[in-house]
Amino acid sequence: MSLVLTGIGTTSGIVIGRVHRLTPGELSLPEYHLEPDAIEVEIERLHRAVDRGQRFLLDMYEKVTGEGTDTARELLEAHRLILKDPLLADATCNRIRDERINAEWALFKQAEQLLAEFRRMDDDYIALRREDLEQAVNLIQRELAEQPASLVGSQVPHQLDATIIVAPELGPADLTLLHQRRVAGLVTEHGGPWSHSAILARSLEIPMIVGIHHALEILEEGEPVILDGHYGALLASDDESLQRHYQDKLEVTRQHRTDLRRYLGRPSKTRDGESFQLFGNAELPQEFQRCKDDQVAGIGLMRTEYLFLDNDLPDEETQYRAYRQAVRTMAGLPVTVRTLDAGSDKLPPAMAIGQGPNPALGLRGLRLSLAVTDLFRQQIRAILRASVDGPVQILLPMLTGVGEVKLARRLIGECREELRRAGIETDPGLPVGGMIETPAAALAVTRLASELDFMSIGTNDLIQYVLAIDRQDELVSYLYDPAHPAILDLISRTVEAGKDHNIPVTVCGELAGDEQAVRMLLGLGVTRFSMPPGSLPTVKKSLLEASAKACRKKVEDYLSGNEIETSEKLLESLMRDESA
Amino acid sequence: MIRRSIKLTNRLGLHARAASKLVQTASEFKAEVWLEHNARRINAKSIMGVLMLAAPCGTELSMEVDGPDEGEASEALVRLIEGRFGEGE
Repeated sequence: MSLVLTGIGTTSGIVIGRVHRLTPGELSLPEYHLEPDAIEVEIERLHRAVDRGQRFLLDMYEKVTGEGTDTARELLEAHRLILKDPLLADATCNRIRDERINAEWALFKQAEQLLAEFRRMDDDYIALRREDLEQAVNLIQRELAEQPASLVGSQVPHQLDATIIVAPELGPADLTLLHQRRVAGLVTEHGGPWSHSAILARSLEIPMIVGIHHALEILEEGEPVILDGHYGALLASDDESLQRHYQDKLEVTRQHRTDLRRYLGRPSKTRDGESFQLFGNAELPQEFQRCKDDQVAGIGLMRTEYLFLDNDLPDEETQYRAYRQAVRTMAGLPVTVRTLDAGSDKLPPAMAIGQGPNPALGLRGLRLSLAVTDLFRQQIRAILRASVDGPVQILLPMLTGVGEVKLARRLIGECREELRRAGIETDPGLPVGGMIETPAAALAVTRLASELDFMSIGTNDLIQYVLAIDRQDELVSYLYDPAHPAILDLISRTVEAGKDHNIPVTVCGELAGDEQAVRMLLGLGVTRFSMPPGSLPTVKKSLLEASAKACRKKVEDYLSGNEIETSEKLLESLMRDESA
Repeated sequence: MIRRSIKLTNRLGLHARAASKLVQTASEFKAEVWLEHNARRINAKSIMGVLMLAAPCGTELSMEVDGPDEGEASEALVRLIEGRFGEGE
């Protein structure tokens, strides 16, 4: 029997493993009245439970290591503050005394009152804190029941390799422990992509799916499953051949990757001697390291949205540390930092300052930054400060006109001046570039090029805007064609404008990571490609074995409608003749 | 007892990170610290209380500090709030 359960994937990655169920173990909350002489004993019992809870959290705080430590510690600290909160502990004591009821009951009543109060506040942020309060209360209830504080503690073996944990929900302390025991994947029945555990799992890079309702009812202990965090799908199957199929597939992919890596060290020249450069798209520290290991020419795209995913906006220091770490890891190779590109599909809760009728055409990308300039300045200052440690470039997203560039440049200049006054000298020639991803930018590219130090073509958005197609929309997705002549024309214009103004042009959308599409781009005159680290080996091989001349000829034949009629045929023929 | 009013000037007001810092700072002292805004009076050592104030940037808070170390406590809190909770803006 095979079964696919779906939820929301919050950390991508595929894991094959066995289910380990974490059930809360029915916590029965006893309710009874106390004799007057039992009251102080009961209060003492509550205090001890709270103390043990505190110690447990402190212990976790000390134990957490590696990636995501800061996030984990911040969450654990928040839980500790809640545990100590007089509105919780003291008020519960008062209830024990005044209402003469046992600790569990008093705590339950007090928590209900606080939750009701939180519910009245229609702030997304507070809504999330409710989850924290529930988890903290649960922690005390467990201590009162003298059950282990964490779901995880008693129920989980010490080695979790190839284990996928399925639980109703998970708190930061649970996640920290599971991470230490090297859990392979996580599934929860409740919680959304912005829940604290989802955020934490992302920073710990544990593949996770949230919101698979009734997962615990459906899945059995030890059951083999395949978790695909990218699609939010959990494939449960007792079919061994299917398991083997996935296992083999993972193995083949691994082997193939190893084989491809030998291309990475070769000089970046096509078969007919045209030079090209490969760059990496990266945001997390490991990705920078991987790009470095894979011998990129630099970071072509460092997205910064991930810094803003949390409910709190990151302060300048947090941002500075992230950028500086990237710059230091790349050790002298340029790092292109794109300013916040909060968009239609990925507006972090903290940034949801209002949404227009059509977010895709609304306040997004640089527009949002220029609307909230103090936020923009903060980011710019952090980037400029990081540039002290190595070469950095600033990339502006979602441009439509020269005015935006000028305004952004003015703000950047002001930030540089502020820093100079504070004794931090930054490079006045720090390159400022722009994304060419709207039709307006691509059509007016000559004018824009004169104001920019470099350009990056964001093919994903460009294709959507030019073809007027939302890729997610199944009804029109068949029209999505990355090789549409209109797209190729705009890319070629941008390349030309770059040449005329003597500024570099890089393609950093999905196309740049596709072995077929890079040959098409090569045929359009693109020689700089920026892609996720995983695509580097295949793209490098494809370009090494390509002939730039032949690619140009084929693209011309396609654009003029000679011989090559459809984009499928173009891509196919680009691969066919040259793999020889 | 020290009573004074103080304005929140950090961009986000009393949101989580700032609230945590405020509670941590207040808890370092013996003195009781009370904050009042919109006719709501809360204990500054309570994270939930502080969050329930939901005070945005620009809010004028009245602060009351009472206890043996009220001077230092009040100073530390003013420094924190005027320093915009280290948010850098």
